[in-house]
Amino acid sequence: MKDTLGLVFFPAFDWMISQTHPERQERLLYTRDQLEEEGLFDCEEIKEYRPRLAQINDLQRAHIGMPAIARLITPAHLASAGGCLTAADAVMRGEVKRAFALVRPPGHHAMRVVHGIRGFCTVNIEAIMVEYLRSKYQVRKIAVVDTDVHHGDGSQDVFYHDPDTLYISFHQDGRTLYPGTGFPEEAGSPGAWGTNINLPLLPGTGDEGLHRLYDGLISHILEDFQPELIINSAGQDNHFSDPLASMSVTAQGYAKLADKLQADIAVLEGGYSIESALPYVNTGIILAMAGMDYSKVVEPDLSMLRVQDKRCNQRVDQLIEQVGELYFSREKTKKQLLEKCGGVWRRRKGIYYDEEGIREQQLEAVHYCSCGGYFTIQTAAEGTRFGDQSAFIACIPRYACAKCRQQAHDEALREKKSGRWQYVFVQNIVDGFIETV
Amino acid sequence: MLLGIDVGGTFTDAVIIGEQQVVFQAKVPTNHDDVLASILQALDRVLNDIDVKKLRRVVISSTIVTNALTEDKVEPVFLAVMTGPGMNVKGKFPVEPYYVSGYVDHRGKITARTDWSRHRDLLNRKGSGSCAVSGKFSVREPQNEYLLKQELKKCGYQKIFLGSELSGELNFIRRTNSAYFAAAVYKVFAKFCEKVQLALAQRDITAPVHILKADGGTLPLEAALNQPVEAVFTGPAASVLGIEALAAPERNSISLDVGGTTTDIAFWEHGLPLMAKKGAVLKGYPTAVRSFHMRSIGIGGDSRITVTDEGYKVGPLREGPAAAVGGPTATLSDALITAGYVTFGDTEKSRQAIAAFGGNPGEEAEKIVQAAVRVITDTVNEMLADWAKQPVYTVDDVIRGTKFVPQQLIGVGGGAMGLVHAVGKAMGLPVEIPAGAMVANAVGAALARPTLSAGLRADTTEGFYIIPESGKRQTLPHGFNMKKAEAVLTQWLQQQAERWQLPAQETELISSEHFRTIHGYYDTGDIYNLRMQLKPGILHKVRGREVEI
Repeated sequence: MKDTLGLVFFPAFDWMISQTHPERQERLLYTRDQLEEEGLFDCEEIKEYRPRLAQINDLQRAHIGMPAIARLITPAHLASAGGCLTAADAVMRGEVKRAFALVRPPGHHAMRVVHGIRGFCTVNIEAIMVEYLRSKYQVRKIAVVDTDVHHGDGSQDVFYHDPDTLYISFHQDGRTLYPGTGFPEEAGSPGAWGTNINLPLLPGTGDEGLHRLYDGLISHILEDFQPELIINSAGQDNHFSDPLASMSVTAQGYAKLADKLQADIAVLEGGYSIESALPYVNTGIILAMAGMDYSKVVEPDLSMLRVQDKRCNQRVDQLIEQVGELYFSREKTKKQLLEKCGGVWRRRKGIYYDEEGIREQQLEAVHYCSCGGYFTIQTAAEGTRFGDQSAFIACIPRYACAKCRQQAHDEALREKKSGRWQYVFVQNIVDGFIETV
Repeated sequence: MLLGIDVGGTFTDAVIIGEQQVVFQAKVPTNHDDVLASILQALDRVLNDIDVKKLRRVVISSTIVTNALTEDKVEPVFLAVMTGPGMNVKGKFPVEPYYVSGYVDHRGKITARTDWSRHRDLLNRKGSGSCAVSGKFSVREPQNEYLLKQELKKCGYQKIFLGSELSGELNFIRRTNSAYFAAAVYKVFAKFCEKVQLALAQRDITAPVHILKADGGTLPLEAALNQPVEAVFTGPAASVLGIEALAAPERNSISLDVGGTTTDIAFWEHGLPLMAKKGAVLKGYPTAVRSFHMRSIGIGGDSRITVTDEGYKVGPLREGPAAAVGGPTATLSDALITAGYVTFGDTEKSRQAIAAFGGNPGEEAEKIVQAAVRVITDTVNEMLADWAKQPVYTVDDVIRGTKFVPQQLIGVGGGAMGLVHAVGKAMGLPVEIPAGAMVANAVGAALARPTLSAGLRADTTEGFYIIPESGKRQTLPHGFNMKKAEAVLTQWLQQQAERWQLPAQETELISSEHFRTIHGYYDTGDIYNLRMQLKPGILHKVRGREVEI
C-alpha cells in the first residue's frame, strides 16, 4: 500500500477546562495555522478525517465512571475519543497506512475508575481505542509507546493487569514532575509482569539521549514483543520550549522518533508550548508518518535550546541496562511472582486528582486463573463533584472463562449484600456494558 | 440595460437584459482559434437595435484563460519563494522555484530577513515580462515579499505577482500557485482585455466592462489584470448564476445543467449556490481560486452510447447531434425520445438508431437512460458524502454535522431535459425546469454581482491588525474588539468597492474566530480572525424566454 496518513485533526476550538488553563481553545490554534499554511491538507499522502462521536459503551470498555461516565464528560470527550476510533477504523479498513488523531482533550492520566478530571484528562482516549481495536477487529497484542513528558499513569493503570498490552513510557523523572510516578519497578501486576515499561529521564535530556534510549532499548523491546499494532501516545511536551516541563527535545528529535517508531496510529497527548513547539512538532510528526521529507522542519527560534548535560546519557545507559534486564527476564520473574502471591495479588493505591482536589483510595485484587483471571477494585473518594463516593467494582477481562465470570458476579453480589458500598458495578470489558448490582 | 456574453465550448451567447427580462439574445458558434471574433459576432447581433448609451455594464465570461492553460499557451514564469522551515515543497509548483532566505512565523513575526549576500545571482538576473513571488505567512506580514518585489523590479520584470495579493487566506502552496498561474496567463489575458476594450470603444460602448470570475463574481477589467487567474473556469460559474437568475431556488436544491457533452452539478441552499471549501485545481496544482461546489461529468444530450461488458455506457465521447435531428449514430437524446421522456426531431429516426442495439427499442432505450442516470446519481451521492464529511473544528459542529438534504432538482441546458426528469424519478425528488434555460450562462454573466471578500486578523499581543487583501499592517487602536474589527473590515470593503466603481452593496460576515491568548496562566491579549464579503449573487431575477438558434 502507498504511504498514506489519515489525519483526524480536531482542535476543539470551543472547549476548555477553564479560562486560563493550558487546555483551552487556543491550544491548537497555531498548529492549525501552520498545517493550513504549509498546505498539508492538500497533499495526496494525507487524507483528512472528521472525528465521529464515541458511544458511551466505547468509553466503558476502559472506564467505570463514578457515579456514571456520562455525568463526568463533556461532548468534547466523545469527539476526541471518537477521533481515535475514526483513526483506528481508517487504518484497520485499509483506507490509509497510518493515522494520527491530532485531537483534544487528551487522556493518558485518566485511570480505569474515574471520579473527575486529573492531569487535564477525564477519559483515556488511547485505552478506549485499544479496547475498541480488540472488540471490533480482534487485534490482540498491542504496544503503546507514550512519548509525553509526563508519566502516563492513567494508561499504566488501565493496562497494568493486561499481558497483551505492552505499555512503554519515557518521561521526565517523577521526582521532578507531575504525576510523580513512573519508575521501572512499576512493571505490571504478576500476570502482566514486564509489559509495563517505565523509563524516567533526567531533566534536560534532548534528542541525543532520547534516540540513544530508543535505539538501545525501546526498539529491541518492541522487536521482541512483536505487537500486531503500535500506538504512539504522542505528547509533545519533551520539547525544549515547553512551559510545564524541563526537557530539551526538538521538532527534529520528535519527527525522527516518529519515523523510527513507524506507529500505526498516533494520538496527541500533552504539549503546552502551543506557539513555539506544537506547530513545528506536529508538522514534523505528520510528515514523518506520511513518509514525506521532514528534514526541513526546524523551529525558527532555537535560542532557548540547551546542550544536554552528560549525566543525561549516563541515566539513559543505566536504564538500558536495568530495564533491559527486567524486560528480557520477565517470564522467569513472572513465574516467581505468581507463585509467591498464591492466586490473588493485591495492592493499595492512593490517587490524587490535581484538577479537582479529589483524594481516592483503591484496593485492587487480581484473581488468577489459567484464562488470565479477573480483578476487583474497591474505591473510596473524597471531594468529588458528587460528594464522597465509594464503590466495589468487578472487572471481567475479555478472555475470562465462565468460572471467573461467575466468581466475579458472586463477589459483586456478596459486596452488595454487605452494604459497605454506595455502588457495586460489574464491568464487561469486551462490550463496555456495566452492570449495576 | 445589462449586456452579458458567455463564450462556451460549442456556442457563444450574448444577452441584453432590461428591467426584469431578457430583451435580446443571440447564439453563435464559438471559434476556438479566435475567441474575440466570436464575442464580437454575438455582440453585434444583440446590439442591432439598441442605444448603446443605455448599457450600464458589460460582463464577459470567456474561455480565454482556461484555453491558454489547457493549450499551454502560457509565458515562462520565474518563481521566487520564501519557504523558511517546514514541508519540502519540491514538486509542489509547476516550475522549480528559486529559494530566497527570509521567514515569517505563524504569528506574523519576521523571524528571518532576507540575506541578500546569499542571493547575488538573483540580484544580477536580467528579467523581462512577468514573475511571481511568494512567502510563507506573507498574509500575516508581507514585508519580505515587498522587498523581494523591489529587487526583482530592478532586474527588469514589468509585472510581479505576489502571493499575498492573490489571496488573503492561509495556504502558502495555493497562494504560490495562484501567483504562478497569474503570471503565466497575464500576457494572453492582457492582450485579450486590450482588444475587447478597443472593440467596444469602436462600437461607442462606454459602460464599464467586467470579467466574470470562477466564484461567480465580477471584476472591473483593470482590477482583473491584477488577478487574471481568477478568470478561469467561468463557464460553470455563469451557468450557476443563470440558474440563480432564472430559477432562484429557495429550497435546498441540486441543479443539473445538461449540455451537449457534459452535465454540471451544483448544490443550493437559501437561494445561493454552495461554494467549494477549497480552491480550484489547475493543471494538477491546487490554487487559491475560489469556485462553486460543483462537478462536471461527461454525459450530455449528444453523448455517444457504447456497449460494454457491464451493459450500456453513455459518453464521454460525442459524435455529432442526435439521430433525431440528423446525427450519424444513437445518442442519449435518442434514448430519451424512444423511452418517452421527451419529444423533438424525427422520433422515428431515434427509434431506428436505438434498434441497432437489438432487442426491443423501448426497453433498450430505458436501459440506456438508466445507465446515464446511475452515473449522475452516483456523482451526486459522492458530492453529498463529501459535503457531509468535511472537516469541522468545534464540538458544536461535530454534533450538528454538515449534512445537505436536497429537496428538489433543477434542470437547465438545452441538452436533455428528459434526463433531469429521469434523475428526479430515481432520486425521488421533484423537478423544476425554468424557462429561458437555453442561454442561462449569458444571463448569469450579465447579472453577476461583483464579489469582493477580505479577511482581517488582529493580534493584540503583537499589537497589529492586517487586512491581507490591502497588504498593509496597521497598529491596533485601543480597546479593539470583534465589533470594531467588523467595522474596520466593512469600511475597507466599501472603500475598495468604491475604488472599483462597484454598485453599493451590503457586507456580510463569512466566518469569525476569537481566541484569548495566555502566557503562563495570565491573559496577554486576543486574536481575532474574520472574513467578510460583499453579498454575492445576482443583481436581480429575470423572466427568461425561449430562443431560436
